[in-house]
Amino acid sequence: MYKDKALVLDIKGNSLDDGPGIRSVVFFKGCPLSCSWCHNLESKKIVKEISYDITECIGCNSCRDICENGVFYGKKEILLNRENCTLCKKCIEACPSGALKSVGEEMGVDEILEIILKDKVFFDVSGGGVTLSGGEPTLNMDFSLKLLKSLKEHDIHTLIETCGFFDLNCFMKKIYPYIDTIYFDLKIFNRDDHEKHCGIGNEKILNNFRALFDQCKKDNKIIIPRTPLVPGITDTKENLNLIASFLKSVGVKKASLLEYNPMWVNKTGKIGENKKLFNDRMESFLDISDVENAKALYNQLGIVC
Amino acid sequence: MKSAESILKRGFANLCASLFFKFFALNFNLRPDLKKYLKSTDGWINFIFIVKTESLSINRGLSFKNGHVKTLKNFCEKPDAQLIFRDEKSLGKAVISPPNELMILLMKNEMKTEGNIGYLQLFNFYLSLILKRVQISKLKKESKKRGFSEKTINKINSKKINQLKSDALSDDLDEDIGVKHLKDRYLADYSLKDFPRIEDLLSIHHTKIPEICHERPELLTDWFRENGFEKSNSGEKWIPELRQANAYKYLMENRKPIIRKNDLIAGTTTTKEVGVVIYPDAHGTMIWGELLTAPHRPLNPYNIDKETINVLHKKVFPYWVNKNFREWVRENKDYPICQKIDESFAAYFLWKSVSLSHTIIDYPKILSKGTIGIISEIEQEIKNTPEDNRSKIDTLNAMKICLEGINLYSDNLSKEAKKLSENEIDSIRKKELEDLSAVCGWVPKYPCTTLHEAVNAMWIIWVGVHMENTNAGFSLGRLDQWLQPYFESDIRKLKSDIEKEKYLKSAIELISCFYLKCTDHLPLVPDIGNYLFGGSSSDQAITLGGITPEGLDGVNDMTYIFLKVTEILSLRDPNVNARFHKGKNSNTYLKRLCEVNLNTGATPSIHNDEEVMASLKEFNFKKEDLRDWSATGCVEPTISGKHMGHTNCMMFNMVAAFEMAMNNGYHPLMRWDIGPKTGEVDTFNDFQSFFKAFEKQFEFLADQSCKYNNYLGIAHQNIRPTPFISSFIEGPLEKGLDLTKGGATYNSSGTACIGLADITDSLMVIKKLVYDEKKISLERLFTAVKTNFKNDKALYAMVKNKVKIFGSGDEESLSMANKVTRLAHEIFKKHKNYRGGIYNAGFWSMSNHVAFGTLTGALPSGRFKGKAFTPGLTPQSHASSNLLDNIRDVASLDTLAMGNNIAFNLKVVPGRDDNHAKSVENIFSYVKGYTDLGGMQIQLNVVSSETLKDAMENPQNYQNLLVRISGYNAYFTTLNKDMQLELIERAEYGL
Repeated sequence: MYKDKALVLDIKGNSLDDGPGIRSVVFFKGCPLSCSWCHNLESKKIVKEISYDITECIGCNSCRDICENGVFYGKKEILLNRENCTLCKKCIEACPSGALKSVGEEMGVDEILEIILKDKVFFDVSGGGVTLSGGEPTLNMDFSLKLLKSLKEHDIHTLIETCGFFDLNCFMKKIYPYIDTIYFDLKIFNRDDHEKHCGIGNEKILNNFRALFDQCKKDNKIIIPRTPLVPGITDTKENLNLIASFLKSVGVKKASLLEYNPMWVNKTGKIGENKKLFNDRMESFLDISDVENAKALYNQLGIVC
Repeated sequence: MKSAESILKRGFANLCASLFFKFFALNFNLRPDLKKYLKSTDGWINFIFIVKTESLSINRGLSFKNGHVKTLKNFCEKPDAQLIFRDEKSLGKAVISPPNELMILLMKNEMKTEGNIGYLQLFNFYLSLILKRVQISKLKKESKKRGFSEKTINKINSKKINQLKSDALSDDLDEDIGVKHLKDRYLADYSLKDFPRIEDLLSIHHTKIPEICHERPELLTDWFRENGFEKSNSGEKWIPELRQANAYKYLMENRKPIIRKNDLIAGTTTTKEVGVVIYPDAHGTMIWGELLTAPHRPLNPYNIDKETINVLHKKVFPYWVNKNFREWVRENKDYPICQKIDESFAAYFLWKSVSLSHTIIDYPKILSKGTIGIISEIEQEIKNTPEDNRSKIDTLNAMKICLEGINLYSDNLSKEAKKLSENEIDSIRKKELEDLSAVCGWVPKYPCTTLHEAVNAMWIIWVGVHMENTNAGFSLGRLDQWLQPYFESDIRKLKSDIEKEKYLKSAIELISCFYLKCTDHLPLVPDIGNYLFGGSSSDQAITLGGITPEGLDGVNDMTYIFLKVTEILSLRDPNVNARFHKGKNSNTYLKRLCEVNLNTGATPSIHNDEEVMASLKEFNFKKEDLRDWSATGCVEPTISGKHMGHTNCMMFNMVAAFEMAMNNGYHPLMRWDIGPKTGEVDTFNDFQSFFKAFEKQFEFLADQSCKYNNYLGIAHQNIRPTPFISSFIEGPLEKGLDLTKGGATYNSSGTACIGLADITDSLMVIKKLVYDEKKISLERLFTAVKTNFKNDKALYAMVKNKVKIFGSGDEESLSMANKVTRLAHEIFKKHKNYRGGIYNAGFWSMSNHVAFGTLTGALPSGRFKGKAFTPGLTPQSHASSNLLDNIRDVASLDTLAMGNNIAFNLKVVPGRDDNHAKSVENIFSYVKGYTDLGGMQIQLNVVSSETLKDAMENPQNYQNLLVRISGYNAYFTTLNKDMQLELIERAEYGL
C-alpha cells in the first residue's frame, strides 16, 4: 500500500521502558492480531482514522460547521458518522481544542530519521537507541529494512518489539541482520485460547520463536520473550506454566513479564470502537503479590525475570 | 439616589476612620504604658502619617509630635508616610485582615505606600500595641489553617539513602587526576549516623525557631550615636569609609565571642542559636511593625525577646529610620519615579535596598597571607601613596582598621575557648577547646597551616563579612579548590591507613560543621518577603569542580568530601553549585552530582562550565580569571576575588513591559499610565510593530530600574561603603577606592529577567494566530486577555492547542525565545552602572516568578491572571510530553545573551521499582545530554507531586523536605501557598 512510506501512529521520544537507555519508539499502525485487551486500539487498522476525545471537546461546533459530508451529528454531544468521512481533515484543522485528531501519518524514512536524530545525543550518553513497535512493525518489512539500514548507518542501537506473527524467511533477510535486540511477545500458549483472545492461532508464533531463539544464540544476539500479565487471560497459573515450560524446553534463561496497565480502559471510544472488558479485574492494576507469584513460577523453572 | 447613598456611605467610612484614629490618639495620649513607646533614646519620635483612598473619599491623618498624638483632618505639613487604598472596599478589607494578609493587599495593589516605609512600619507597630491580642489570635488561626500548631513539629526523619561506590560503576568511567587520597571517591561508607555531633547540630537547625538578634545594630548604633554619622563630633564631615571602619572595629571588639556546644568551629553570626541579623541601614526597619507579631506569623515565624523589642524600638530603629538606602534616595534624589515603580512591586524589585553583597572574596589570599600579611600590604601601599592623595590614604586606612577589628574578634574567641576549656570536665572536649583556642589565636591573623585552621579562618572572616554586609547572597566561592592544599598537606603527614582513614572522617565532620555554621543566621524577611522570596535563606553559594585557573581538571579530594557533606546534610543553605567541564571533568564526577541530587532531592545545581564561560565573552576577562569563576547567590558567575558584580541587583519582570505594550504604556495592575505611548491595539499592522512596542516598554522599564539601581549604589557609597571586604578583593588596595565606588578589578551589575517562557509563548500566539495564520484578530485576543479568557473558550482552546511554544522542539518558538533574550541582553548592556561596569542579563527568578505572577494579568499564552510564571526560563509544563524537547530547546538558547546565567528546572520522579542505580543513570543521561547539546545550567527536583501534596497537608512530617525553587533551595514547608502550588504544577517526568 505504501511503498516508500509507512503508516506511523506516533514517534515517542524519551522512552525509558522500551529497551536499554533512552529510546525513541516508532509505533507503526496495523496489527495482524486482535487481542481482547489491546490497549492501543488506534494501532490496529492499517488505515488513517480520526479520533475524537470527548473529554477535550469544548462543544464549539466548528467541526460540524466545516464538514461537507455530514459526519458530525448529535444534539447535546457530538457524534460521528464515520462512514461518511473522507478524511479531508478540515475538521481537525478547525477544531480549536485538539479533541479531533488524525491517527496515522504516512512517513518516509527521512522524515522519521529527522525526528529521531534530534535525540541521538541522548541515545549515545544513555546506551539507548530506537525501538520499532506497533501495531506490528513486521507488517511492512521492506520499509522496516530501509529504516533499520539507515539507523545502522548512524550507528544507532536498534530493537524490535514484535507479536511474532510474521514470515520467518523474510524476517531473517530483512530485519534480523539490522536488529540488535528482539522483544518477542508470547501471550497465550493454548492454541484455542490464543485464537479466542487474539484472533488467530499461535503455531506460527511459537515456531518463529523457537527458530529465532536458536539463531540468536548462535549470533550472540539478545532475544527476550515477553508475556503481558492480563488479568484472567494470560496471568492464569496454567498459561504461565505452559509458557514457562515451553521456554525452558527451548533453552530460554531470561524472560520478561509485563505488568498490566488498566489505563487503556478510558481510551476506548476515541476511534468509534468500544471494547468489552473480559472481567472486572481488568479495571485495575495487578496486586504486587500476583506479579511476584508469576515471577516465582518462572524462577522455579530456572528462568530469570 | 445612588449618589446620595454613596455620599452617605462615604461619610460613614470617613466617620469610622476618624473615630478609630481618635480612639488611637486617646489611648496613646492617656495610657502611660503606651505613651512610653512614643519616645526613643534620642527623644520623642515625631512624624505625620496619613491614610486615604485614591479618590480622597477617605483622608485622615495622625500627627505624632513631642509625645502627643493628634488626629488630622486638614493637612498643611508634608506627611512622612501615607497608606493609599484603591477604594473604601480595600480599606475595609485591610481593617479586618490579619497583619499577614495586609501584605497581600499591597501585593495586589489594592493598597500602596508613599513616603518613608519606616514610619509606616512604626505606625504598624503602634497599631499592634493596641490590637496585639486580636492580631495574634488571627495569626494563630492562619497558622492552624496551614497545619502548623506550635508543638507538633515531629522529630526529623532522615531519609534512607542508597549509595553507589565509585569503583562499582561500569568501567568506562574515567579517572579524576586531582583525587589523590580517596579510595572510594563516592565515600559510600559514610552516613550521618557516623557523626553524632553533626546529628545534634542538624537537629538544632531543623527544630529551632530563629530569633531576632539585636547585637549588631545595637553596638553600631551606640558607636554612631557617640561619634556621629554625617558629621563627626568635631563637626567635620565624616569620610564614610573611615566612619564605617571605626564603627566596624568597635562592633567586632565588643561583640560576644561565642563557641557553640560541641562545635569544632569558633564564632557565631549572632548571639542566638539561630539568629536573624538586623541591618537597619538597609531594610532593618521593615520588621518594626512586626516586633510583637513576628513569633505568631504563619510563615517562617521569628522569636523575639522583650529586650530586643525594646532595644530595636527605642534605640535602633528611630536612629535609622531616615538613614537607609531607600530613604537616602528618596531624600537626595527627590523621590524619583524609578523608586515609585519599585515600590509598586509589579515591574521590578531592586535588591540594593537590602544589600550589595553578591560577590566572592579572595579566600586563597586570606588563608595564605593572613590578615597581618594583608595589613602590611596596605601599610606598604600607604607608604607609597603621595600624601596629597587623601582619599586613597583614607580608604586604605579604613581597610586596615577593619582588619584590626576582625583580629580583635578572633583574639576574643581564643580567650573564650581557653576559658571554656578550663571549665570543661570531659577530657576529649577539653582538648578540642584547647586546640580551638590555639587556632583562633593564630588565624585569621597568620597564614593557615592545616585544614582545621583554614576552615576556622574562613568562618571568622565569614562572620566578619556579615557584620559589614547584609546576609543576602554573599557567597563563599570555590572551597574545594581553596581547601585542597591544606587537606593534602595534612594527610601527607600521616603514615598508616588507619590514621588516614581517621583523618578523612574528621575532615568530613569538619566540613559538615562548616555547613551547619552557615545555617546559624538567617536574613531578615519581613512578612511581605514571605510572599516575594518565600523560604529563601541567605544563599551562600559554594562552588565545586570545574577547572583550575591553569585550565586543568579541578575535581579533587575535597570536591568529593563536599559532595558527601552536601548529601548527608541536605541543607537549603549553603547553596551548592557544581561546575562540570566537559572533556576535563570525569563522568564519575558528573554521575556523583546526579546521585547527590537524587539523594537530597534538590542539590547541587549543575553548570556547564564551558557555556558559562563562553557567555561572559563580552567582558574580556583574563583567561585565568574566567576559569576561576564561582556561582554567587543563586547561579550567577563572579570572577573569584576580583569582581564586584552585584549579580542580583534586580529582579526584572519582563512581562510588565509586555503588558504595557498591550495597553499603550498603561500598566493595568499598577493602574498607572507610566510607559511611553507605543500604540493602541489597532495600530499594530504586523507582528514586528507589536514587538517594537514591547521593545520600547522594555527599554523604558530597564532605564528606570538601572537608574534606581545607580541611585541606590550611590546611597551605598554614602551610607555603607565596605572597607572590610574591600581588603579581600583585587583592586581597592591598588586603586585606593572602596568596592562600592568601583575599586574592584572587574565591575558589573547582574539582572534576573523573569518570564521568558510566558513572553515567548505569548509572542508566538500573537505571531501565529493573528499575523501568520490570520485566524483571529488582535482585538479579539486582547479582549480575551482582559477578561481572563472568560467569554472566549474557543480562543482559549486554540491558544493552548494550536500554537507550538518554547520547549516543544519547534524551531520558530526557539528563535522567538532567543529574540527575547537577545533583546534583554542588548538593552541592559547599554546601561552603565555607578561603578563604571555594564549590566548583564540573566534568566532565573528566585521565587519572583510566583510573586510577579500574582501581580500580572492574563496573557496571550493562555496563562490566567495571577498565576505564577514558569520558574527561571523553564518551558511551560504542557510544552511537550517529551522531556527531551524541553531539554533540547533550553540547551539551544544563545548563551551569549545570558551572561548572568539561567535557571532551568527539571522535576523527575523515581519509578515504582525505585532502582537506585538506574535512577542515577537516567538522571546522568539527561544532564550529560543537556550539557553535550550546549545547555548552560540545570537544576533538579527529585520528588513526586504526590509527596508535595502530602507535605502541604501534613507539614509537620516534612520539616526537612528540600526543594529547588529557581536558583536557590528551600524547605517546602516554609513556602507560601502559591509557591507550593507552583512546584506541584511543574511538569514531572518518570525515571
